[in-house]
Amino acid sequence: MSTLWTYARSNIERTALIVAALVILMALFGGLLAPFDPLKIDFRSKILPPSPEHWLGTDGSGRDVLSRLLVGAQMTLASTAVVLVVVATFGCAVGIFSALVGGAVDNMLMRLADVWLGFPPLILALGFAAALGASLEAAIWALIFSWWPNYARLTRMVTVDILSRKFIASADALGVGTGAKIFRYILPNAFDVLIVQVTLDISAIMLAISGLSFIGVGAQIPLPEWGAMIADGRSYVANGWWIVLAPGLMIFLTAFSFNIIGDMLRRELDPTSRRR
Amino acid sequence: MTVPLLELRDVTIALRGSNRRMVTGVGLSVSVGEVFGVVGESGSGKTLLTRTVFGLQDDTYLAGGTVSFAGRTLPLDGYMKAARKLLGGEVGFVPQDPYSSLNPTMRVGEQITEALYLAKRMPMNGTATRQAAIDVLGEVGIPEPELAFRQFPDQFSGGMRQRIVFAIALAQDPKLLIADEPTTALDAITQRRVIELMLDRCRTRGMAVILISHNLELLRQSVDRLAVLYGGQLHNIAETAAIGHHTIHPYTEALFDCIPSKGKTLEDIRAIRGEPAGAGFGLKGCAFASRCRYAEPICVESDLPLNSAAQNGFTACLLGRGAPQ
Amino acid sequence: MTYAIQRIAFSILSLFILLLTTFLLSHVMAGDPAIVAAGPNAGAAKIEALRQQMGLNDPIFIQFFIYCGSILRGDLGTSWFTQQPIAQDLLRELPPSLELVLLAMLINLAVSMPLGLITARYAHSKFDDMVRLVVMAGAGLPVFWIAILLQQIVAGNWGLLPIAGRLSFANRSFSGPTGFYLFDSLLAGNVSVFFDALAHLLLPAIALSLLFTAVGVRITRTSMINEFRKDYVTLARAKGAGEARVMFRHVFPNGATPALTVFGMQFGWMLGATVLVEEIFGRPGIGRYAIKAVTQSDIHAVVAVVLIIGVVFLVANLLVDILVYALSPRKQRAG
Repeated sequence: MSTLWTYARSNIERTALIVAALVILMALFGGLLAPFDPLKIDFRSKILPPSPEHWLGTDGSGRDVLSRLLVGAQMTLASTAVVLVVVATFGCAVGIFSALVGGAVDNMLMRLADVWLGFPPLILALGFAAALGASLEAAIWALIFSWWPNYARLTRMVTVDILSRKFIASADALGVGTGAKIFRYILPNAFDVLIVQVTLDISAIMLAISGLSFIGVGAQIPLPEWGAMIADGRSYVANGWWIVLAPGLMIFLTAFSFNIIGDMLRRELDPTSRRR
Repeated sequence: MTVPLLELRDVTIALRGSNRRMVTGVGLSVSVGEVFGVVGESGSGKTLLTRTVFGLQDDTYLAGGTVSFAGRTLPLDGYMKAARKLLGGEVGFVPQDPYSSLNPTMRVGEQITEALYLAKRMPMNGTATRQAAIDVLGEVGIPEPELAFRQFPDQFSGGMRQRIVFAIALAQDPKLLIADEPTTALDAITQRRVIELMLDRCRTRGMAVILISHNLELLRQSVDRLAVLYGGQLHNIAETAAIGHHTIHPYTEALFDCIPSKGKTLEDIRAIRGEPAGAGFGLKGCAFASRCRYAEPICVESDLPLNSAAQNGFTACLLGRGAPQ
Repeated sequence: MTYAIQRIAFSILSLFILLLTTFLLSHVMAGDPAIVAAGPNAGAAKIEALRQQMGLNDPIFIQFFIYCGSILRGDLGTSWFTQQPIAQDLLRELPPSLELVLLAMLINLAVSMPLGLITARYAHSKFDDMVRLVVMAGAGLPVFWIAILLQQIVAGNWGLLPIAGRLSFANRSFSGPTGFYLFDSLLAGNVSVFFDALAHLLLPAIALSLLFTAVGVRITRTSMINEFRKDYVTLARAKGAGEARVMFRHVFPNGATPALTVFGMQFGWMLGATVLVEEIFGRPGIGRYAIKAVTQSDIHAVVAVVLIIGVVFLVANLLVDILVYALSPRKQRAG
């Protein structure tokens, strides 16, 4: 964490780090801080504008928007984290395997990844949701299914590069086993590149999950997932702007911050990016 | 004495942003029609110097000194712009790598007619322009110039490409041609041929040439005088004829000793010990002192002398070695 | 020639994988198609009969073979909720979506190309840093959220553009042979309909293009920076070419090619992203159709949309690759 702070070169990057840290804290402890029950419907207090009691107002069913945002942070961020962890692990395994085996298998796997990479993930996810039934889990599976080739390609590229370097040749000469090679040389070297990609992908995955929830194939409507909250608030946008504005701003600020951090990490960690 | 074509006095070049001085206090002059060499190891600042002087380097600027071209001194304010104005008319430039110095998506002919248009305002699609372009392609020894006119750069070998690049510069009839390591990417025989052809065409037109290279042997056979750069410092300006015959500057001598040639035994060929200093050494002490076999304490303690008068036969050696006899 | 063969083989492989995916989605993962087809309250005997009739007792690869055959004949099945052949539905829904995507792509190109070129030329300048920040913000915008906000503010509060639909009420009876209203109206010589259709397209197209433009600027910038470092730029400057000439005559044609490939891929992604905006702006199109199909659990209609968007994606990429190839100097030698 403190290393991240030293990477920051401008106030914008420092702000992004603070926002990201706050959002992560929100996801971890948001439920404890929520002043109201995020699901409790109370039509007597519906569409109340922001006030000292309801800081961000209430939605069309009288639920407290701030409480929903705090609880929803966990749904949106945890889903994103699950997708990224699975995708990075699986993609990484495929990539390393492909590079180590080489030849026709490598060629075929990478062709497959190329084909896969192309299809619009949102649409693939839609098909998945239709087949599995609409739920947050289905949306997560769908994104995992469509996102792994990114990491397979990336890891393969890094691995091939590492395998071509001199220290691998000397490791070979010393009879270092494949497992040791993966854990001692390939993974540590690939880590920087992967961490940059993961950070940059956070916003894309988050946007995809909330988008799927928005169109009704992810988290279902009473749930306080941020995308679903926007879908829920749509009909009140004319007289209850805060209902749509608040979750959208949260998505935007989180995605924006992680984009800035990803950009910063790339500058600091990726040797191929030019520095001055 | 006639006015030199190009004169640098105490020219200092620094990086934008950090203001680190990469080249310090260089003075030299090139006269009309002269073939002048600049020699130095990689990192000596030779490329940086010429590219900055002619406004082709984005990340550096002229931090001090004066540059005059044909008697006119270029202003320090807005230097880059003023220097760029000299290009494409007064000064031609041949970059290092022939494989990347031609625009891959533009036909060879168009790249030459564009040069003619920019230098002489000849209409790009005119028949006279086309003929002039074909003529110059023939002049640099491209077989079937009319066919070449219609072809793309990737249809030529490295040597042929460098000839085309040279043809582009030649078409503009500049007074001064700068060739920055023009043949490093080519094999030895092609190298010799391209250089000889280039110098021959320039001499017949009375063009001055600045030939930049790390290869002293190549320069010794082609230029009249040369400037020796090391660590961003100007160390020596020598007549090439004198090299290897008289006492010369220690670094020039060290460079000469690396060249294998007829009449030298294996013991005569000596590598320079140690690693070369990068550019940006400054003026405090001689950058070469740590590798010089004559070095004495004074060499690291005193400031290096400058060639402020842009004289011929200058030596920066603090021990006075290499002074003209 | 080998390039063309490789490229076509790759397209066929992609198509095969696409078909396999849609087959798995609709025939394997969605549960027993016979139960789905028989509808609720069907007895075991009826389901078994249907299963026999639909060939579900055949080995899976034969089913896949039959599936591919019917797709290639243009038979995508019948939609649950429109009660019509899906192929017919799609033919009706595709033009409005393509029209939207084409305009969004035009906006994307019009912004990305020049901005990418200029930020590459002045890389690491104040202007570049500012654009980079805006781009990162753009890449963090939820498309559907910005669509709602644009609709509410620009159309609702300010009344500058129409709120929803494809045409105004007055033009409701307009129709044309292609279904592309911008094109049809010009064909019919009806300028007022043209501008009406354009006004209706503008907000959705802007909303749709934002995210892609953010990526587009970045890609173009990277591609152009690579070109600016090459020696031919030095040579162009050495020839005395001004910066405008260097940028537009030399760098741009070379740097645009790699960027073009990405824009080709974006076309398919944009078509997919119509699910996020068409519904909001009440526009007909395959995005809205897909959402309707999902909410009605009409698996075949959804999968047909997946398939058609996949095909559009493949075709767009193939066309771009052909274009890139046609622009490259190498073809001169091959041809």
